[in-house]
Amino acid sequence: MVKTAGGIEIEGTVVECLRNATFRVELENGHKVLAHISGKIRRNYIKILPYDRVLVELSPYDLSRGRILFRYRS
Amino acid sequence: MNPADSDTAAVTRVAERHWHALEDDLVVGRGEASRRPDGRIFLSIDAWHGAVFDHLAEAMLRDLPRPLYTVVDEADLDLTTDWLRAGLTIRRREWEYLVPTGANQTPPGVTVIPVGEAEEKPLKELDRVIRAEVESTVGWQEMPAEVRSALDPSRYAVAAQAGDYVGLVRVIPLRQPRIGLIAVRADLRRRGIARALLAHVLDALHRNGIDTASAEVNEANAAATALFEGFGARRASSNLELVIR
Repeated sequence: MVKTAGGIEIEGTVVECLRNATFRVELENGHKVLAHISGKIRRNYIKILPYDRVLVELSPYDLSRGRILFRYRS
Repeated sequence: MNPADSDTAAVTRVAERHWHALEDDLVVGRGEASRRPDGRIFLSIDAWHGAVFDHLAEAMLRDLPRPLYTVVDEADLDLTTDWLRAGLTIRRREWEYLVPTGANQTPPGVTVIPVGEAEEKPLKELDRVIRAEVESTVGWQEMPAEVRSALDPSRYAVAAQAGDYVGLVRVIPLRQPRIGLIAVRADLRRRGIARALLAHVLDALHRNGIDTASAEVNEANAAATALFEGFGARRASSNLELVIR
């Protein structure tokens, strides 16, 4: 887990793609969060699929929500 | 931290194409602008709260020359609403298709050169011809995704006829591979060459144990829609391109 100027960043694995452009991600600490994708991922048409390893930034307002910043190459 | 406090977030342009919304020394929102090879500027905003989004959008729309574009997943209603509230309007829609692999039909006289085996020089010439044809007709702005200016021969399968390269398809090797571009020279269309190219790459993927590929298709492109749906492709999601002029 890394604390940055933008909040907490933590790695996880996508376990489910939900209908409303969100993803359920299991973090490396075992917690599950609902995450959107970042604008950069959207702009670059990077597809997120179940089992993808991703870097998630947690919301400072609600630690059960996050944003996928990066998809690691499998 | 209370989201209601986000009305007080201060927006700063921290670099030529980057904006930050700061609250108590914490970055609570980021905006970024990027220029595509076709010259258009695309915006993105990551914010935890609508008020922060609005502050960032206001600053970016004020600072940048128009027209400005963005792309959203149509299923993301919150983000779509945020951009519409900022004044952008929907310009076009593109569907993401999932295409089952495992079919193969090649018209007589056409040979398909597998991905990565085409010669670079004639492939670049074909790419140049097709790019010029696209630019002089519908234009790249009507094409899904981003136009790649660099050509990587290892990602292309090519259709050849009487020794000439006449069509190409780009395959991006992801866990769920993506069909990035499929095009045939204008004077040789409607002969089944694009179908043969697509069938070839789908068959090759199927033989490698891959069940599905993906492709983005502009909703207004009836030929591409018919091509993919002819292979049993189904719509999985959609992206909206929005613009403010």
